[in-house]
Amino acid sequence: MVDVSQHELVPEHTVLEEEALEDVLEEYNIDRTDLPKIKRNDPALPDEAEIGDVIKIVRDSRTTDQSIVYRLVVE
Amino acid sequence: MQDTTPKDIGSLSFGLMEPEEYREMSATKIITADTYDDDGFPIDMGLMDPRLGVIDPGLECKTCGKHSGSCNGHFGHIELAAPVIHVGFTKLIRRLLRGTCRECSKLLLTEDERDEFRDQLDESRKLSRDLNDVTKAAIRQARKKDRCPFCGEIQYDIDHEKPTTYYEVQQVLTSEYSQSIAGAMQGDEEEGVERTTPDELAEQTEIELTRVNEILSGSFRPRESQRKAIEKALDIDLTEEDTNKLMPSDIRDWFENIPDEDIEVLGINPDRSRPEWMILTVLPVPPVTARPSITLDNGQRSEDDLTHKLVDIIRINQRFMENREAGAPQLIIEDLWELLQYHVTTFMDNEISGTPPARHRSGRPLKTLSQRLKGKEGRFRGSLSGKRVNFSARTVISPDPTLSLNEVGVPDRVAKEMTQTMNVTERNVEDARRFVSNGPEGHPGANYVRRPDGRRLKVTEKNCEQLAEKVEAGWEVNRHLIDGDIVIFNRQPSLHRMSIMAHEVVVMPYKTFRLNTVVCPPYNADFDGDEMNMHALQNEEARAEARVLMRVQEQMLSPRFGENIIGAIQDHISGMYLLTHDNPRFNETQALDLLRATRIDELPEPSGIDDEGTPFWTGYDVFSELLPDDLDLEFTGTIGDEVVIEDGQLLQGTIAEDEVGEFGGEIVDTITKVYGNTRARIFVNEVSTLAMRAIMHFGFSIGIDDETIPGEAQSRIDETIADANDRVEELIEAYENNELESLPGRTIDETLEMKIMQTLSRARDNAGNIADEHFQDDNPAVVMANSGARGSMLNLTQMAGAVGQQAVRGERINRGYEDRTLSHYEPNDLSAEAHGFVENSYTSGLTPREFFFHAMGGREGLVDTAVRTSKSGYLQRRLINALSELETQYDGTVRDTSDTIVQFEFGEDGTSPVKVSSDEDNDIDVEHIADRVLDSEFESAEERQEFLGSKPRPTNLSEHADDRLAEGTEVTSDD
Ligand SMILES: [Mg+2]
Ligand SMILES: [Zn+2]
Ligand SMILES: [Zn+2]
Repeated sequence: MVDVSQHELVPEHTVLEEEALEDVLEEYNIDRTDLPKIKRNDPALPDEAEIGDVIKIVRDSRTTDQSIVYRLVVE
Repeated sequence: MQDTTPKDIGSLSFGLMEPEEYREMSATKIITADTYDDDGFPIDMGLMDPRLGVIDPGLECKTCGKHSGSCNGHFGHIELAAPVIHVGFTKLIRRLLRGTCRECSKLLLTEDERDEFRDQLDESRKLSRDLNDVTKAAIRQARKKDRCPFCGEIQYDIDHEKPTTYYEVQQVLTSEYSQSIAGAMQGDEEEGVERTTPDELAEQTEIELTRVNEILSGSFRPRESQRKAIEKALDIDLTEEDTNKLMPSDIRDWFENIPDEDIEVLGINPDRSRPEWMILTVLPVPPVTARPSITLDNGQRSEDDLTHKLVDIIRINQRFMENREAGAPQLIIEDLWELLQYHVTTFMDNEISGTPPARHRSGRPLKTLSQRLKGKEGRFRGSLSGKRVNFSARTVISPDPTLSLNEVGVPDRVAKEMTQTMNVTERNVEDARRFVSNGPEGHPGANYVRRPDGRRLKVTEKNCEQLAEKVEAGWEVNRHLIDGDIVIFNRQPSLHRMSIMAHEVVVMPYKTFRLNTVVCPPYNADFDGDEMNMHALQNEEARAEARVLMRVQEQMLSPRFGENIIGAIQDHISGMYLLTHDNPRFNETQALDLLRATRIDELPEPSGIDDEGTPFWTGYDVFSELLPDDLDLEFTGTIGDEVVIEDGQLLQGTIAEDEVGEFGGEIVDTITKVYGNTRARIFVNEVSTLAMRAIMHFGFSIGIDDETIPGEAQSRIDETIADANDRVEELIEAYENNELESLPGRTIDETLEMKIMQTLSRARDNAGNIADEHFQDDNPAVVMANSGARGSMLNLTQMAGAVGQQAVRGERINRGYEDRTLSHYEPNDLSAEAHGFVENSYTSGLTPREFFFHAMGGREGLVDTAVRTSKSGYLQRRLINALSELETQYDGTVRDTSDTIVQFEFGEDGTSPVKVSSDEDNDIDVEHIADRVLDSEFESAEERQEFLGSKPRPTNLSEHADDRLAEGTEVTSDD
């Protein structure tokens, strides 16, 4: 099986630590359910990600070098 | 005065209404279908009962005491003789029938299952997912149960016959069970099925022999378990379907017993809605204000469609009651019940498939409740989203190159109709009096004044002089539009934000809106009859926003591709090309004439002195006068030459489309980004006027002779085409002799087609090249094609050389008759001519057959564009509707209305395409930026300050300010 998470075009997905999550939620003044979602069976997810976890995705950006996005793992 | 302060809407909740609630809010019960008595007075407890509100002016409402206009009307109600189904809920009713027990009405789920679905529902709600997915799954699960887990009752399938009939489908023992069993016991010798004796049957089914005999004689109906055993033993089916119609009253009783906890699992809030309320027992009657009757010219009253429908309902309702009281047979009662259901159904929705629509006497289908709301002309899309506004005007547009691109020419008759409110103060009281004294007919005049006491007076020709004297500070004057006012200008379809821009008014005679031709690209406008809309702004905030954000010069750069969308077009480009291509010389008078419409009123030092001793100025020098003094630029230009600008002087290169054109003209783009929108506006305005002067200086016209070539060239073209025809014949011959070798991955037929196409397109190119050789560089069509003003060399060679192969769906033309395109050719003729090759040019003229093929190719193009525009239009509408609620918040995130984050940073990088400098090779023009940084290192601190951007660009909110600023301080550039 191909592990897509190793592909150069797939950005880095990491599970966000609970503390860091608190900071993110506070920064944007939201609940975690207000985050964009990602399905548990998404092949880009790290194996340890569980439903309810928040994933941090770091993408390369042409204009801002890095663009960071958070997503809530669902179902 | 009533409290009119606006209130915040805290929340909205949707649910069903209880019959008792209908009765409570009802102003009166409606019992009679008659509306007015013989004297024309509304009948009490009729459909026009005065307690339902008033529509005639002067009358008083019997419920609230208010007059027509202030009374919103009041609902009444009809007590239905029998319950009927609400058409809006037929699907939900079906779901409930299928998911609950026919005996005890409980949801057919075990408690564990129920709790699980309830949890899923809560989760979905939190994630704002579609609740229907869960409730549908719950019903699907419940339907699987054959028996109620609580009372054990067998459950039957529910059949729904649209729109409002429900049946229970039961599997019952057929009436011919004894014959079937006896027949099966006979066996079948042919198929090798053995005979079964009653003894054997009794043994296999464990039924007593006497019972078996009774069953066989038909005197005993087997119980279900016995039936199943017999079915199994004899491999037969002893059931038949029996449908049992569920009357609305049955359904209502059924639903009444559904426990609250169970409907929660189905996504219904039991505090607000009970399922039995989906079966109507009371019908609310809309107030008369919702269905006003109109009096026709002949004094006859004409009632609203809703009133007609209500009349039908009441009539049937009464007949139903009378018949039931008289003890009419069940069949008649059921017919009337169905009729009542039909009328109530069509009262709510008259466009249900499978139900004939209720019609007016004239045969026109009635417009009932749902028809008022649905569709393009409905309440939502027609009345609420699509508002008509005051202070707007629409007329044909025409070009005016003397206007600035920020301006719009407004016909005086429009200016006199649209007004701006002027708050009179000590400083403008003189102006205000002048406007009022000019009256409504004189141009800058006024239409209304408002006194400090709030009274509004119309200014007329008669009273204007007197009124003018009374105007004081504190009054308001609605004065006409005058030069310099800001208005919003729009051309449909409004596909991007540049379709609506703010312009400054220039009042003009005649009847059309006038605009500078350089704003045609953003509006996608031309002058073949296009009309545009204008909106006069009515408050100071709107005017300020329009000036700062919406003015044309602020829209110079397109957010779509980050480059300028406004620039020179068409003749401007031809003009600039003529001015700069061969760098011609001009004497003083000519040079001044070229620059007459620009700010330049003094020529620079002459470029040189000619042989006769008179000074001359070159095209480069004239053009350079328009550039900012410190502009440096170097790039490859339109015609492939290097364009070099140093210190605001054009040193080399031709100015044409890629330099100053719309859609990314390099010089315009750079000036906008480096020197600001105001400088860019001045530049574009001046380029266009200079170009117009230049093209008029040289003269530019095109005629049929410019597309004809000498006879010698024509015969060469004929030769090439004859050659190509020969080669095609050879190919065909090779094909017919099976000598043609197929290309990899193609059949022989495809190979032949490809080779023929290749040969013919080469022939067309060759013909074009021959024609090309005979065009001079100063040929106007060539000038336009080279400069990018209009047309291409292909267009030109089609006019002079050969039109070439016509294609439908990317292939030679193959359709028409059986095995041939036209009856003029032999069947299976593969020649170039027979499949749409046009060897003539547009100038020499097409043969009838060529013309026909050309029309086929042309039609495909037309159909394609028509389909594309409608498809893409619909796609865009859906996209816009889906994205319309997304908003960039102050923290930079993009969120929807429920605060769910869509992007953490606008566009994932928080940058506007307009603010990012770019070229084709590098996403970011690093080199250029570095150059500028280095430059600033070497120069004085002041200049570095300027580079860092702390020196403010001159404020320029109106072109009327230009004159004032022009003296002394410079507006034009930061140099
Ligand atoms: Mg047009
Ligand atoms: Zn009233
Ligand atoms: Zn039950």
